[in-house]
Amino acid sequence: MMTGASKSKPPLLREDGKRLDGRAFDELRPLSIEARVLNDAAGSALVIWGKNKILAGVFGPRECIPRHDESPYRAVIRCRYNMAPFCSLEEHGRSGPSRRSQELSKVISEAFENVVIAESYPKSAIDVFIDVLQSDGGTRCAAVTAAAVALADAGIPMKDMVSAVAVGKVEGHLALDLSKEEDNWGDSDNPVAFASRNGEVLLYQMDGQLTREELDQAMTMGMAASKKVHAIQTAALRRVYERGGEVSVPLYLTPGEIRQ
Amino acid sequence: MEVQEELKHSQLLSMLASGKREDGRDMLTYRSISLQRNPLQNAEGSAVCHLGRTQVLAGVKIDLATPFPDRPEEGVLSTGAEFSPLGSHLFEPGPPRVEAIELARVVDRGIRSANMIDLSSLKVEGVTKVKAVYVDLWIMDHDGNLFDAAMLAAVAALANTRMPKMEGEKLVRGEYEGNLPISCLPVSCTFGMAGNTYLLDPTLDEEKGLDGRFTLATTPDFVCAAQKTGWKGVTQKDIMEFVDISFKKGAELRRLIQQ
Amino acid sequence: MSKIVVPGEVVSDQPQRMAYTFSDGHKTYATALSLLSDDGHLVPLEGPYEPLVEDIVVGYVTDIRFTGYNVELGEPFSGFLSSRDSRATFRLGSMVQARVINVDEVKSIDLADARPLEGGWLERISPVKVPRLIGKRNSMINTIAQMTGCQVIVGRNGYVFVSFGGNHALAVEAIRMVEAQAHTTGLTDRVAALLREKGGKAMPKAPAAPVHSSGGQGDEAADSDYSPRSARAPQNPNQPQV
Repeated sequence: MMTGASKSKPPLLREDGKRLDGRAFDELRPLSIEARVLNDAAGSALVIWGKNKILAGVFGPRECIPRHDESPYRAVIRCRYNMAPFCSLEEHGRSGPSRRSQELSKVISEAFENVVIAESYPKSAIDVFIDVLQSDGGTRCAAVTAAAVALADAGIPMKDMVSAVAVGKVEGHLALDLSKEEDNWGDSDNPVAFASRNGEVLLYQMDGQLTREELDQAMTMGMAASKKVHAIQTAALRRVYERGGEVSVPLYLTPGEIRQ
Repeated sequence: MEVQEELKHSQLLSMLASGKREDGRDMLTYRSISLQRNPLQNAEGSAVCHLGRTQVLAGVKIDLATPFPDRPEEGVLSTGAEFSPLGSHLFEPGPPRVEAIELARVVDRGIRSANMIDLSSLKVEGVTKVKAVYVDLWIMDHDGNLFDAAMLAAVAALANTRMPKMEGEKLVRGEYEGNLPISCLPVSCTFGMAGNTYLLDPTLDEEKGLDGRFTLATTPDFVCAAQKTGWKGVTQKDIMEFVDISFKKGAELRRLIQQ
Repeated sequence: MSKIVVPGEVVSDQPQRMAYTFSDGHKTYATALSLLSDDGHLVPLEGPYEPLVEDIVVGYVTDIRFTGYNVELGEPFSGFLSSRDSRATFRLGSMVQARVINVDEVKSIDLADARPLEGGWLERISPVKVPRLIGKRNSMINTIAQMTGCQVIVGRNGYVFVSFGGNHALAVEAIRMVEAQAHTTGLTDRVAALLREKGGKAMPKAPAAPVHSSGGQGDEAADSDYSPRSARAPQNPNQPQV
């Protein structure tokens, strides 16, 4: 991903020992979630998390096309993670699915197969489309978080919400919610999605190196942080019924800000 | 889908016969329009156009590219459109449909023919590369008249595009020197045609029942792009009426971008 | 007071069998974004149509076959109307009102008692808001019909037929208002106020909304307690017992 001048590893901690953006190791970046931002989709959400801006829209249950994907027992859940060509600070991207986006689409779909009560809608499809409009490290966690809110907004029956966060290792310290630089240059990255009711891990990927103890501790940190994410998801869904009225994508919000 | 379109067609005609539209608008009134300027920070320029319930995002990226062999002194302008499947139950994931290609080409023609961007100013002195302007239209919510909404979003994004700083032969990301110079603001007006009547700014429901559409892009002085879609034939008289209305409405749309 | 619960949120500390919930044997949890009232009543705020026998539905004909008609009822549902069960004949695109007579395990729907709907337009609202649009003993829908002079026919599946006779745009505006504010109290009064303000007036001879109240279609609860369908929806046989 890195281009331009800085090919060698930059320092990831400030002189005062904090992270580059001033965060503590167990601190999330500012997070804003708005539910019901699209008119045509059955459910939708915008997640602004650090500089990430992620839009999710849900359709269905609807006719499953192509037909050979359908199941006589349950709805198929199809999540599609897609990056806009202008999402990165670097060069203009290619459109269409990459190997990376196809892999992420697969694991995100599988996470929601766990919680969506798909047996209620045999021979149909539930589509979750996730567009990364601006990327800043941690897009898959923001994508899962957005998709869960959009599914709930659509009234798709689910046994649980899903809340995701990354835990990584930066300059020898376990750190929550890696920024882009920390993701690129850190020692390990562990995006994790938790079912918020029973704490089951529904999505887990990992790279880099961690000891057994570090992994155990990373999971504990992630679980605690996912509860904060869940609280923001829930508040966003409740706000839909307080604000009423206009439906639009408030892309202009700064992270942490709530639409007035 | 075809059955629904037939149904809409007869519904639309019977409604228009009563001189009304489903949302109570006059025939030549736009839905409410609002623009968000530069809601994105990684893209060099961006804008969202809300046209009624239609929402279109335009993102602009500036890159270095090899010029076209026949135009070595000119920068590159490239316009794409993505009908994101989250934007409508009618959209599907996959390669761009012909409607998305058409939309991108119509908006591209409007911007290009208006000479909104002076492409010769995008030549980078001393190297073989030129600056490239990539405009991508992202349909987030489709409730009709994507052409006008996309044109507004694209032009508003270009009018607010920052140029990345150059250091030698490279762009420095995240640092800027000035804005993309623009000369004018092209805007488009789309007319829906049904039976022997026409209406401005059709909704998706209306589009399903229309016999055809006619889009005209204008600058204050010129017609700079046009597209007739659908099977319905139009007369010269119709076209001239569309031109007159487009100049008048175009001035109002341009004021929205300038605000 | 009532509060909004999200999927996975506890709605009862006891295991209970209730629509839009599931139990792990100890507690009961919501499966959908819902309104939970103090007395433990749960009403979904969003969600797809759940077809049940005796539902009155509205749709349009998408295919004519030798044996009958396919009727689009809103994705993913399509109903089949056998020619034997229908005296009227329909064309492609004909709008119809019909009664659900069978729903099988893959949610194929059979229809009967169909009648054509003419001279109007179909609106689509969220199916879980339908009881609110009908109102207590048809109060909401009658108010809209009488004050706009439109015929308004509500299908349980979320399609609403609104005739062009009368103030069509105002009727649609009122319907949209009900959909957007279905979770609030005092809605019937606010809708009536909107209709009065926008020039609607009571028209005693307006076509009454021929809503079939069979099967408990209307919102029989008090205005403050929006509690329609969960009262009669049987437990989903496929609902997992975790």
